[in-house]
Amino acid sequence: MRNVILDNVRPFVDGKFENPTKMCLVDGAWADSAPEGSQEFDAKGALAIPALFGLGLDFKEPLRDDIYTFKDGVDAMRRGGFYGGLYESCANAIDDSLKLSAIQQISAKYGLSIAFLGAFSNGYQCKDLSEMVELAQGGAIGFGDGNQDCSRSRFLRLAMEYGSMTGKRFFFMPLDDSLRHHGLVHEGCYADTLGMKAIPRVAETIAAFRILEMARFLKVPVHFKQVSCGETLRLIEDARKIGVDVTCDVDIYHLLFDDSCLFNLDSNYNVPMPFRSAEDREALWKGLESGVVNAISINHDPVLRQDKEVNFEDAVPGAISLEVALPALWKSLCGRLSAARAVELLSTAPAQLAGVAPAEIRKGSAANLVLLDPDTPTEVTPSMFAGQVRNCPLLGQKLPSKILGTYLGGLWTEV
Amino acid sequence: MSALEIKHLFGLRGVSKHDIRLILDNAKQFREILERPVKKVPSLRGMTVVNLFFENSTRTRTSFELAEKRLSADTVNFTSSNSSVKKGETLVDTLRNIEAMKIDIVVVRHKGTGVPKFLADNSDAIIVNAGDGAHEHPTQALLDMLTIEEKLGTLEGKNVTIVGDIRHSRVARSNLWGMTTMGAHVTLCGPSTLVPRNTELMDKVTWESDVKKAVKDADAIIALRLQKERMDDALLPSMREYRNTFGITHELLECAKDKVLIMHPGPINRGVELDSEIADGDNSVILNQVTNGVAVRMAVLYLLAGGRANA
Repeated sequence: MRNVILDNVRPFVDGKFENPTKMCLVDGAWADSAPEGSQEFDAKGALAIPALFGLGLDFKEPLRDDIYTFKDGVDAMRRGGFYGGLYESCANAIDDSLKLSAIQQISAKYGLSIAFLGAFSNGYQCKDLSEMVELAQGGAIGFGDGNQDCSRSRFLRLAMEYGSMTGKRFFFMPLDDSLRHHGLVHEGCYADTLGMKAIPRVAETIAAFRILEMARFLKVPVHFKQVSCGETLRLIEDARKIGVDVTCDVDIYHLLFDDSCLFNLDSNYNVPMPFRSAEDREALWKGLESGVVNAISINHDPVLRQDKEVNFEDAVPGAISLEVALPALWKSLCGRLSAARAVELLSTAPAQLAGVAPAEIRKGSAANLVLLDPDTPTEVTPSMFAGQVRNCPLLGQKLPSKILGTYLGGLWTEV
Repeated sequence: MSALEIKHLFGLRGVSKHDIRLILDNAKQFREILERPVKKVPSLRGMTVVNLFFENSTRTRTSFELAEKRLSADTVNFTSSNSSVKKGETLVDTLRNIEAMKIDIVVVRHKGTGVPKFLADNSDAIIVNAGDGAHEHPTQALLDMLTIEEKLGTLEGKNVTIVGDIRHSRVARSNLWGMTTMGAHVTLCGPSTLVPRNTELMDKVTWESDVKKAVKDADAIIALRLQKERMDDALLPSMREYRNTFGITHELLECAKDKVLIMHPGPINRGVELDSEIADGDNSVILNQVTNGVAVRMAVLYLLAGGRANA
């Protein structure tokens, strides 16, 4: 349905939610009136939030379209209220302009705003430089090697030095492989009690510090994905004080969980960047409040059922989040931050990091929005998810809020 | 005091004093049976136990198998080297296929923490943990407790010192939970690279870096096996230095009580964690541990099967 009239809805306009009103959404824009035959929907006072932008999308296609496809991913985005996202596949390195062009063509069929990171090394191997200039010319908004650690400092220097010609930002998940040493979970009291191989905080801070020093030396902008501990945020703050252009995000699930969840031994909690202590989780929240953290990331990473229906340590890491992110997090966000900051973290800032125009709700202009009832709980059931995967740590749990519908790219989807 | 509160045996963390007492008391009765000319009882006749071992094991698997046979159960051994797991079958499919053959109890050993619980979540069988990663090895701890009670009468108020690679030891973890529940004071001691750094949840035990202080008041010392891989992984410089620093030697025991019990989960690296003269000496109860292992495993299987039958 392209045209819809939302009755009794509270749109987010100019940094705040307006009183309940009527919105006529016609051909992708907020119009004064709607043509006859438009669908009417009673929003019952629900919030119309600018659609979200997801940092960290991995739809697996084309190499692993047996797991998930762009069609599944776009379906998930429509269910979860995302009008766009930054795509970076851990399986498919986009390391030349042909690959970039091919994936852009797949993405273009679906009409949402998806930006792409190019790899800075061929095949994420940290041995040969990718053709970064051509990737940038083809539309790559920055460079990253998936979740791989680039511990070869000379190669890192050369990649950033060569890539600096493009002016693009380099994206890293800071985790030193040597210190990680096959660890899967945070090195803390829960891992030690369970006897699990673990990742100390210094695996993150040492990797982050090396990258920050390189960024300072070469004057290259960098972004840290999925920062998981307070110490890394302190390093980022210190680096900014001396002029390093560094941005960062925290993953949605790192705001919801800490390592106490390990006692469940549920393989859905096995994610690439481990959930750290309750103190770290609090430090991330404080980073949202203080502004050190630029954005909240989604890191939608589908994993097949058979790769999760195993014991924790043998599971493939990764979690999906597009369908549940907003109803899971909105109330907590608004409990500690203003609604305007919440929208900034989930929508405006991630889009700006990806160089995409942020969604906004303004009468007379394009409207991409998600309709959220903040006070009606939703149970997370398998049917909520697009595609065949279900690897969500929130499966079976109750979320505090409920998405009623989304209006994205001129298409109304009732959820 | 006739039924266990637990339905499976995943580990000893969180297991009540009542349940541990019940297992130990039953094990003492089975221990007596093991001394008889006819060592078999019909308790599990008609039941089938699968020993599902994804890691190499000789003594634990043999001990479980003997326990099962002495309870008159039908037993099947399933090891990863001869199984469909080699052909890519998932753990759940392996279990469900075995379960479809109408089995009652699964004894499992696996390198992964939490595999016994995972199997219980995906099956109707009774699950017994025979060692999961570095997490727990509950029957080893139970047999250690039985051995101490047999020799010292009680665990209550006794000092038990565990020396060695605590960080990677499922035996140490099960012992610390079980023994503290039963009122023993547990001291853990090992090289700084082989003890956990984050012990907030293991706060009922004493951590001691000086092995002489650790053994001084001990009523029992459990020496843990030192894996050679720890040297390859740069966690220790050499077996020699380990022996001289943390090995249970005659010189070290001069700092300990005369009648301190010397224990080891086996197999022993003689001359590394335990000198031969100590392993074979008067204070050693290592072979008693082995005998008690069968009795404890009989008790665990009997009580868990009984709980299911009474449900």
